[in-house]
Amino acid sequence: MTPLKTVGHATHRIDALQRVTGAAKYTSDLHLPGMLYARVLRSPHPHARIRKIDVSKAMALPGVKAILTHENCDTAWSSGDQLNQRKLFNNPVRFAGDPVAAIAAIDRHVAEDATHLIEVDYEILPFLTDLEDALKPGAVAIHEGGNLSLNNQRQPVPQTYKRGNVADGLKAADRVFEDNFTSAHHNNAQLEMRVSVAEWSGDKLTVHAATQGIANCRTDIAKDLKISADNVRVISEYMGGGFGNKNQCQDSDLMAALLAKQAGAPVKLEFTRKEDFVAVHGRWSSRQSYKVGVKNDGTLTAIQFTALSGAGAYRKGSCDLSGTEIYQVPHLETSVSPVYTNTAVAANYRAPAYPQAVFGIESLMDDVAYALKMDPMEFRLKNMTRKFRDQTPYTSIGLEDCIRKGAEKFGWKQRWKPVAGSGEGPVKRGAGMAMGMFGSGLGRSSAVVRLDGQGQYHLHVGVTDVGTAAKTTMGLIAAEELGVPLEKVTVVWGDTDTCPYSVGESGSRTTVQTGMAVIEAVRDLKKQIAEKGAPKGNDVLTAMATTNPPPLQGVSRNSFAAHFAEVEVNVETGHAIVTRFVSAHDSGRVVNPLTAQSQVQGGAIQGIGMALHEELLYDKRSGQPLNAGYYGARIMTHLDAPLVDVVWVETDEPYGPFGAKTLGEPTIIPTVAAVANAIHNAIGRRVKSLPITRDKILGVLA
Amino acid sequence: MKKISRRRFVEGTSAGIVAVAAIPAVEAQQKQTAAVPTSPGVPRTTIKITVNGVDRRVEVEDRWTLVELLRDHLQLTGTKIGCDRGECGVCTVLVDGTPLYSCSQLAVWMNGRSIQTVEGLAKNGKLDPLQEAFIEHDAPQCGYCTSGQLMIAKALLMKNAHPTRDEVRTAMTGNLCRCSNYNHYVEAVMAAGGTTPATGGGNAA
Repeated sequence: MTPLKTVGHATHRIDALQRVTGAAKYTSDLHLPGMLYARVLRSPHPHARIRKIDVSKAMALPGVKAILTHENCDTAWSSGDQLNQRKLFNNPVRFAGDPVAAIAAIDRHVAEDATHLIEVDYEILPFLTDLEDALKPGAVAIHEGGNLSLNNQRQPVPQTYKRGNVADGLKAADRVFEDNFTSAHHNNAQLEMRVSVAEWSGDKLTVHAATQGIANCRTDIAKDLKISADNVRVISEYMGGGFGNKNQCQDSDLMAALLAKQAGAPVKLEFTRKEDFVAVHGRWSSRQSYKVGVKNDGTLTAIQFTALSGAGAYRKGSCDLSGTEIYQVPHLETSVSPVYTNTAVAANYRAPAYPQAVFGIESLMDDVAYALKMDPMEFRLKNMTRKFRDQTPYTSIGLEDCIRKGAEKFGWKQRWKPVAGSGEGPVKRGAGMAMGMFGSGLGRSSAVVRLDGQGQYHLHVGVTDVGTAAKTTMGLIAAEELGVPLEKVTVVWGDTDTCPYSVGESGSRTTVQTGMAVIEAVRDLKKQIAEKGAPKGNDVLTAMATTNPPPLQGVSRNSFAAHFAEVEVNVETGHAIVTRFVSAHDSGRVVNPLTAQSQVQGGAIQGIGMALHEELLYDKRSGQPLNAGYYGARIMTHLDAPLVDVVWVETDEPYGPFGAKTLGEPTIIPTVAAVANAIHNAIGRRVKSLPITRDKILGVLA
Repeated sequence: MKKISRRRFVEGTSAGIVAVAAIPAVEAQQKQTAAVPTSPGVPRTTIKITVNGVDRRVEVEDRWTLVELLRDHLQLTGTKIGCDRGECGVCTVLVDGTPLYSCSQLAVWMNGRSIQTVEGLAKNGKLDPLQEAFIEHDAPQCGYCTSGQLMIAKALLMKNAHPTRDEVRTAMTGNLCRCSNYNHYVEAVMAAGGTTPATGGGNAA
């Protein structure tokens, strides 16, 4: 790979100074003149019809300026549910936490006090929290048409994929393995809570939103409020993380806008931490069943995968489960059924469909390797994907190098025990690995670049920078293509009034899609400079580009990863910790190794939390969430976090900006399975349910 | 390494086990904060506090938390709120040199005390070595927990100028980072303390 001048060199974030001095303004930091504070009243019941709602006492409280309920607001929140008519305030309410009213008042205390003065008469309805219960005959229907949600073609059947014929593949196998795995709903748990500040000026609405994509947020708000997008401005200057739960527009954006309209004053609506856990969304849970056929030499002949995924009370996400694609196998059938329950809504969380599904398939494949007395790493090298769906060549694939170089860095041969569970003493060590992949398609985005008379370049990109260093990445790509140092490029971001469409920081698409638009715009600018000369004085040259490449034909573009974990498990207490971790990634050319390393280490550590601790628990009898919040979720802390070694496998990738592929989401995909496999290697028993908590470890050892 | 739970950490810091460190008293000046519109009938108290070296008299509602006073009424929004219930450490500030969760302190309790926030770290336009190291090691990702991580690290370095990796992790474990950039945070604090950190490090293959 040819080294470049700017891209590929470790570079500090262009906004690092603002982030370490407290100068960076996040949405919740805004204080507009006359601004009101809002609070949301939520249903305490998992399923109920509102017979009557009386807000008169709340409205009479001094300082209360506006109240919304389903009676005076029937605004839809369309990105809150892809299939059903989800409103901001629904009747019936479908989970404990479904919004019932929103109140704006002169300060946060008055708004909070007012929530206690709203009288709601509920007719309690039967409810369910369990995926299997939801599909039983006679189960209460949470939405019209029942609890089996529609597939992506809006049909009430599972989402399926098929190649070959699994029956033939299983017949051709020497051995057939079957097993079941489950994974829990757990929360994105970003530190910045859901927050919006809305203000109207005549017909013009400005929403300061904590969003991962200002452009989509703007068009969503306009659609749901039935106003022209020209009258909506979305600003997100700094944003405190989301990992997928701040895509598009949020109910808080719409509620703040409507409260501000009613009150005639700007409104800030910030959810509480408890609301963030029960009323925003987390990763969908799953019930997975596999049947795998294999030859005695370790060659896979068939995989059959059927699963339920837990949508929660509304269908906000795809609820897909994807893990089998990392294996080469002639016969494959997959079937995933999203199911409604009266629990917190599930939607996107970092690689939404992957880590839980990879946990299932990679746990089972580990068992297959042990049963065939093969080293799990050799088994994967033998069976790993070579072509997408065994058919379409990849534009580049560094998966084998990820496995080999990752294993070398990790010390796989020394650390993995051929006999799982062996070793003296109560603290057992073990090593595990897993692999993963993620799509890195091309697609639409835009950029504007201008050169002023003083020789400074200004790059306008509609990114918000969720922590991925997207602004810096865009600046680096522009500087590289311009052939100037990064300091010569001023990046303008985070405001729909000054920035063109960007794809939004979801699906790990910004570097590739907006990066390509930046390159196109810069090329145009350079052409203009060559033709007209550099601008002088007050003159400027401006170039803009929208790239919207057609889908790649005959090739597939993907990023790849292999992760390696070493654990220590105390078999007397069930306590498991990760002591060593290696993440090896093929994301093509790495644009900024410094910030990319942060992402890879962070993704792995998040994944360790998913593997060992995190679950939003419900009481089946009351339908109540039991452990909403950081103590209950037990997300990873400084003391839990191991050192994560990062190995880059920079493949020569022909597409994308300087050959960069997707990175942010793959960083968590194989992590969970690697930890699970390491625990199995340590104790000789397999926990088939996420998270792998102490009680489950002690349970399989009993 | 001595293990310490997050809850014990919170209790420990609240009890003020950390030695009081002198905060440089920069040109102390009186500042009267303008009264803000609030609800009638709520008890209010006037307190005297020093914030980042500046003396202030401020009338507070007795129900305000310290972080609420800092953010909503003194416009010091560098201190963030992550949970408002003593779980995450995002709102950590120094009170008389001791790190405290400012969401779990009432503003009226601060009478006569000296508070340092992230805005007070840089002196005379010069960044604190911790801030320099945080930039150098790419410690903030989304940056939302960063102010709290800086303040807890500041408290640690005032007590222990050259901490080991495990000492840093133990001291800072009450400060969550969901981007999970813990490796870089620890490296940055060790570097600011003059210790060469063991890096997780990337290596081109």
